[in-house]
This record gives sequence, structure tokens and C-alpha cells, in this order.
Amino acid sequence: MSAGIAYDQARTAWRRAAPANARALDLPVTELLTGFHPDRKRGTRSKLMIGPNAGQKAPIALARLLQSDSLLQDVDIAGAPTLEADVLVIGGGGAGCIAALTAARAGARVLVATKLGLGDSNTVMAEGGIQAAVGADDSLQRHFEDTLRAGHFSADKELVAALVSGGPSAIRWLIREGMSFDLAEGSQRMGGTLRRKTPGGATAARLLSFRDFTGLELMRAVREATLLQSSITILERHPALELLSDDRGRCAGAVLHDLARGQAVVARSAATVLTTGGSGRLHLAGFPTSNHYGATADGLVLAYRLGALLRDIDSFQYHPTGIAWPAPLEGQLISEAARSAGAFLVNGLGQRFVDELQPRDIVASAILREIAEGRAAVRDDKVGVFLDTPSLERARPGILGRDLVTLRHLAGRAGFDPAEEPFLVRPTLHYQNGGVQINVAGHTTVPGLLAAGEVTGGLHGNNRMMGNALLELVVFGRRAGASAAADARRDRPRNIGLTHLADWRRAMEGHRLPLDRKAPLLFPPYGNFDPVRDRRRGA
Amino acid sequence: MAPVRLVIDGHPIEGEPGTSLLQAWVAAGLPLTENVGCMGQGVCGACRVLVRRPGERLAQTGLACETLVEDGMQVAFINLSRRSRPHPYDLHALGDSWDAIGRIDELFPEAKRCRHCGGCDSACPKGIEVQQMVHLAAVGQTYAAAELFDDCVQCNLCVAACPEHIDPAHLGQLVRRMTASMTLRPSDLIMRLHEIEAGEQPIDLDAPGALPPSSSIENEPVQGTGDQR
Ligand SMILES: Cc1cc2nc3c(=O)[nH]c(=O)nc-3n(C[C@H](O)[C@H](O)[C@H](O)COP(=O)(O)OP(=O)(O)OC[C@H]3O[C@@H](n4cnc5c(N)ncnc54)[C@H](O)[C@@H]3O)c2cc1C
Ligand code: SF4
Ligand code: SF4
Ligand code: FES
Repeated sequence: MSAGIAYDQARTAWRRAAPANARALDLPVTELLTGFHPDRKRGTRSKLMIGPNAGQKAPIALARLLQSDSLLQDVDIAGAPTLEADVLVIGGGGAGCIAALTAARAGARVLVATKLGLGDSNTVMAEGGIQAAVGADDSLQRHFEDTLRAGHFSADKELVAALVSGGPSAIRWLIREGMSFDLAEGSQRMGGTLRRKTPGGATAARLLSFRDFTGLELMRAVREATLLQSSITILERHPALELLSDDRGRCAGAVLHDLARGQAVVARSAATVLTTGGSGRLHLAGFPTSNHYGATADGLVLAYRLGALLRDIDSFQYHPTGIAWPAPLEGQLISEAARSAGAFLVNGLGQRFVDELQPRDIVASAILREIAEGRAAVRDDKVGVFLDTPSLERARPGILGRDLVTLRHLAGRAGFDPAEEPFLVRPTLHYQNGGVQINVAGHTTVPGLLAAGEVTGGLHGNNRMMGNALLELVVFGRRAGASAAADARRDRPRNIGLTHLADWRRAMEGHRLPLDRKAPLLFPPYGNFDPVRDRRRGA
Repeated sequence: MAPVRLVIDGHPIEGEPGTSLLQAWVAAGLPLTENVGCMGQGVCGACRVLVRRPGERLAQTGLACETLVEDGMQVAFINLSRRSRPHPYDLHALGDSWDAIGRIDELFPEAKRCRHCGGCDSACPKGIEVQQMVHLAAVGQTYAAAELFDDCVQCNLCVAACPEHIDPAHLGQLVRRMTASMTLRPSDLIMRLHEIEAGEQPIDLDAPGALPPSSSIENEPVQGTGDQR
């Protein structure tokens, strides 16, 4: 880790200055971002040589995975147990459950294959809320424009229009499935109004929530619905290793790995929906992450190898306030509610260095600059800046106990009182802005393959607004599920196998890419798991 | 600090003080492919363990990502499927709210036979009053019952603990889902849905606000584009 100021010295400086005076950023924003945002940093990306996005750049670790060989050979699936479904859903988080439910209710026989347990995902971890333009002072057009502006006008307009116009009906759908939402203070359950907060970058209050665990409430309701739906079969601990193809290059299902038996399973389907979520556990550029254990970019790898176009894959969201110390909590999210409520960021010299309410990418870059230039505090080898919760509590007595309950709980686990001690924070890898390209119906560029949720790209451009990821997984989970059920009635794959791998390997050899590099990862390297060896155990 | 020694699933392990059981498990080089999800937020309920501390007679259930290593701990992962739903129902076929409350007993007939053993309460890693929820649900006080389960992470430890097969976790979800789907009718949402259906909320893809400003976007700090949580 880079050098910085010893913790005791930094803490004295913080205490002496607290509450520190406001100090604006003393560097033009462009320079700050190019100099310190992890997406822009020189030498951290490489050009893809093969596949549909050849010529474009991706973070080195991701590029390596995208240009890897399959974990499978033809022999591995010869004689493997085979399952059949109309619709195969890969990934059992929010998007997966919703796609599965929608397809099943449209009459399809659905198979859901997921890596961990059903619902063990990024979705269940979401705290803040979900956007939907329901307020009388709000409109779909506002939500549309706010989302485009936040994404630096690089998002796909058709997708964003579908997202925002599906917002209100997505909320109705969630309520029908039994999800609760907070009501405005003093409001009645019938005929009252929803509690609305203003997400960063929005021109109206639009963030709907359930306490500060909206994702848990959402996941509980849709998981229960999924488990109770009779035409859905669920395979837990069955990560997908490779998509199947037919002789026309169509997607025809997937090869799964049964983790309990160490065995390959062939799941054939007429339509396949990819809902594998994000990639925080790649720990790009060494960053800690807020993501769940299974967020290893598997979906991107699978789709790419079968020829699906990706987009914006060099764009990631780093949340400014991940925990830097203590090590066991590193990367965990401290919600922006603390900064919105007025908590300052203070460096090791007791100085503020950025307007804390600036956009996420700017605040994150400003923190990274303090770290890079040696002005951060170092505690037990962990580097970060202070999130000054004690001054916040002094300015607004009682706020920690009343409004920032999760934050207090986190401090408790770290072993200190946030009214007395500041947090040490640094940016954490939070969200994959880009992903598999889809159209409004949820189709990827490969026939028979659909996708929804964090694994897709195009909805957020280069930067996601808070609350739009949960909305996306509902709106597009439903769209992809409906399309998949309809597609499954129309067309079925034939001559199914791993035919696409021959071309892929030829391309790899043509570019001298090492064939011993295998992907998807399935689990982070520190998970001590090797799928190839595990399959030998089962053989 | 000196490492602490403990045993997890039969493996003697040395753990860094301050780390969670899950972290100690992977740090010891053991494969982690199950009993894990959020890995630290304590919100997915996947990492259930039985922990016996030295000197304690009874083992205590907990979550491995939230429980810190201690010297002399004996830990076993609890591998129970959270998938089965022995009390099936279709939320959309419960009838109206007059019928639905009466049907709780039909769907979860065991609930009224709770023997107040407290097994569920002591199993719950989130300190939820499970037994009280079961009681309230059985007497039809659905909303009060639902509220008690706000913090439930669906770990299913209470399900495993219940000798009467009441399935408290699933009963809790039934009352939660029922109250939300039958009683939550926000006027702002409903009015907006009406407007959309009437075509009164068109989206103009080329409105001035949907086009990038002519100046360089890079130099303009876009207002609060941050994700907040
Ligand atoms: C801490 C945190 C807080 C957040 N807060 C908010 C918020 O307030 N508002 C908001 O809008 N968004 C928020 N987000 C983002 C949002 O939660 C996610 O983007 C969204 O839930 C992703 O949903 P998903 O269904 O696409 O993916 P996930 O929910 O991650 O589900 C993907 C599933 O696929 C499984 N999987 C992965 N690989 C494979 C494979 N090879 N085979 C089979 N299965 C596989 C995964 O294990 C997982 O279960 C937050 C994210 C985090 C991490
Ligand atoms: S109520 Fe039951 S399922 Fe919910 S957290 Fe407690 S023990 Fe787990
Ligand atoms: S474990 Fe079952 S029987 Fe015992 S108190 Fe809880 S609900 Fe009642
Ligand atoms: S891993 Fe999610 S609760 Fe422990």
C-alpha cells in the first residue's frame, strides 16, 4: 500500500480541526478523473484481440477472462445427465427469479440454475432503494433525462425509455408479489403516498425503499414466489460453465457443474436467459468490493464466447465509501446516506478535500488522489480517509441512532462508537456499468440467448444512478422472461453441442492466446476451488 | 496479535483475531463453494453455523460471516436446504382480504399447535421474536405478525428448530406478502399508472434534456450522479 500518515497522527489532526472547514477540489474535474479514476488510469486496460468486441478495451483482468478457453471438452459432456426445459435461467438473483416467474406464468417449463443458494446475490444486499417516477412533481420524462445525464449521455435511449416507463408498473408488480414499501410519514396504507427520497443526480424525489434493506425485502418476496411456482425447477449449486450451441449458432442451453457431485450436467433449452449479475469479485486493480461472493463476471465470459456483443465493459462504478479498516470489513459499503446527511470526508492532515455531495465518480477519484499523494491515514497497513461521523453527530445530535442504523451496526462490528471515532474509508468496486448488449425485448445479439440485470449493458451508459439497478432487474427480468417464453414456443435448437468452441479455440491459437487459461472463474481465487479438478473427483 | 485456534467442520484452523469464521475458513486454504452469499453483510442467511465455545454446555446457532473467531471454538456448518416449501400456496388465489386471514390456518395448520418451547427464538441469529410472530399469525393479527419479521434473512434456522413443523420462516413470509399485496394501495402510484395507461406520460427521446450539452460533458460536473448505497 502507498505511504500515508500514521493513524495516531492523522487522528490528532482530525480531532484538532473537527469540524473541518469546507474546501473545494483544487484540481479541474477532468484532470482529477483522468488522473485518478480507476477506469481511466493508464496501463490498466488491454485491447481485446478476439471475439465480437475485438479492438475494444477492457480492464486487464476482465480481458484475460474474456479471452480464455472453456473449462470443457466434448468428452466432458458425453454421457452427462441431461435435463430439458423450455426456458433455462442462469443465475438466481433478482433478475433471474423474476424472469423465471414471468416465463413460467406464460406457460413455459422453466429451469433455474444458480451458483450458490437461490437469492444469494447482489440483489439481497441492496440497501437504498429503487427508482420509479410516481410523484406528482415527477414524470417519466424527468426520470428518462436524469438517467441519460447521469450516464454522460452514453446510454441506449430506447432501453432507458423502456426502463423508466416500466417503473410504476414494476412497483405494482412487486407489491402484488408481496413486497412492502415505506410510506410517507403519517400516510395510510390505502390511498396514502409512498415515501420518496431523492437519489443523487435526480431532479425529483423518486427513490422508493423499504427501510434500509430494500434488496432484502425484494428478494424475500420474489424468492418465495419462485419457490412456490410449480412449473419452475431450481438447481442450486449448479453454476453454468459453458453455453450450448446448435448448428446454426443459436444458444441451446448450458452445461452446468453440479457442485455437490463434481459432475457436468447438460441443460438443454429452447431459450436461455442470462442473469448472472456483476463482477465485483474480480477485485479490478486490487480494489475491495461491496459485491456478493459469486460476482465473478461468469455471464460476460459465457456470452462472449458464444459471440454475443458486449458494451461499455471498461466502465465500473467505484462507490466512494467502502470500509478501509478494519481488514475483515474491507470493501463493505457505508451508504451515501451518511454523506447526504452531512458527514465530511477528511484526510490525514485534518483537511476536507472535495465537496462530499459531488457525483460518485468525482468523490471516489478525490479520495484516491489523497491516497496516491500520501495525504491519507494508515492504520494497520490499511489506507483511507476519515468519514467524520462524530462531527455529524455533534451537529445533528441523535442522527446516528435514528437515521443511520446500518452504519451504526457496521461500526459496532468494527468495534468502535461512530459518535466518538470516524470511519476509515476508501472506494470499493460496486457495480458493472456495462455488459451484454440487449434490445428492449431482452435479446442479446445471439439468437436464443437473452439477458437481464447487472450482466447487461446499455442502460446506465458510463455511470449508474442509484436505484436504477433494482428497477432494471424488475423491468428487464420481466421483459426477458416474457420474450423467452414466447421464443420457446416458436423455435427449438437442433444438433446441440459445443460447436462454437472449435472456432473459438482456432481464434485463440491464431492470436497466440494461451489455451491453459480457463474461464469462467465461478469463485474468486481465494475460494480455493478448481472446477476441472472437482470434475475429476466426480468422474 | 497471536492467532486463535479453532475447529471448523473437523478442520483445525488458525485464525487472525478479528476475522469472521468464513474468512478464517478460506484463509486456511479450504474450498468455499456453499454456505456463503453476501460474505459479510449478514443479509443473505446462507452461512449458518453451530458454534460451541469452551466452557459452554450448549451450542449456539449463528451466521459465519458475522461471527468472529475465538480461541477454542468448535464450529459446524449447518447444511440445510432452504428450498423446500412444505406449505404451498398461491398468493394470488387466497381470495380477498376477508377470506385470506381465515386461510392462514388452512395453509399452516400446525401454527396453532405451537408448544412455546422457544426453540425458534433461541435459534434466530437476528433476535427476532419468532414464537410471538407464530402466535400473532395464528390468531389472524397478520400485520403485527408481519412487522415482527422485518429483519428476517430467511436463514431457516427457526424452521430446523421447530419440533412442530410450523415452518415459521415461511409462515412469516406468507403474512408479510399477504399484508403487502392486499393492503398497500399508494395513491401516487395508482394515479401515475392511470396516466400512463391514458397515454398522458409520453417520452420524447429527442427532448433538449435528452441530448448532450454542446459543451464538453467532461468538464461539467454532472449533478450527483452517484449511486448512494
Ligand atoms: C451492497 C450493495 C448495495 C446496493 N444497493 C443498491 C440500491 O440501493 N439500489 C439499486 O438500484 N441497486 C443497488 N445495488 C445494485 C443491485 O443490487 C444489483 O445491481 C442488482 O441486484 C443485480 O441483480 P441481478 O439479478 O442482475 O444480479 P444478482 O442479484 O447478483 O444475481 C446474480 C446471481 O447469479 C449467480 N451466478 C453468478 N454466476 C453464475 C453462474 N456461472 N452460473 C449460475 N449462476 C451464477 C450469482 O451467484 C447470483 O446469485 C447494490 C449492490 C450492492 C452489492
Ligand atoms: S426468523 Fe427464522 S429464518 Fe428469519 S432470521 Fe430468524 S431464524 Fe432465520
Ligand atoms: S420452535 Fe415451533 S413449537 Fe417451539 S416455540 Fe417456536 S414455533 Fe412454537
Ligand atoms: S454470507 Fe450472507 S449472511 Fe453470511
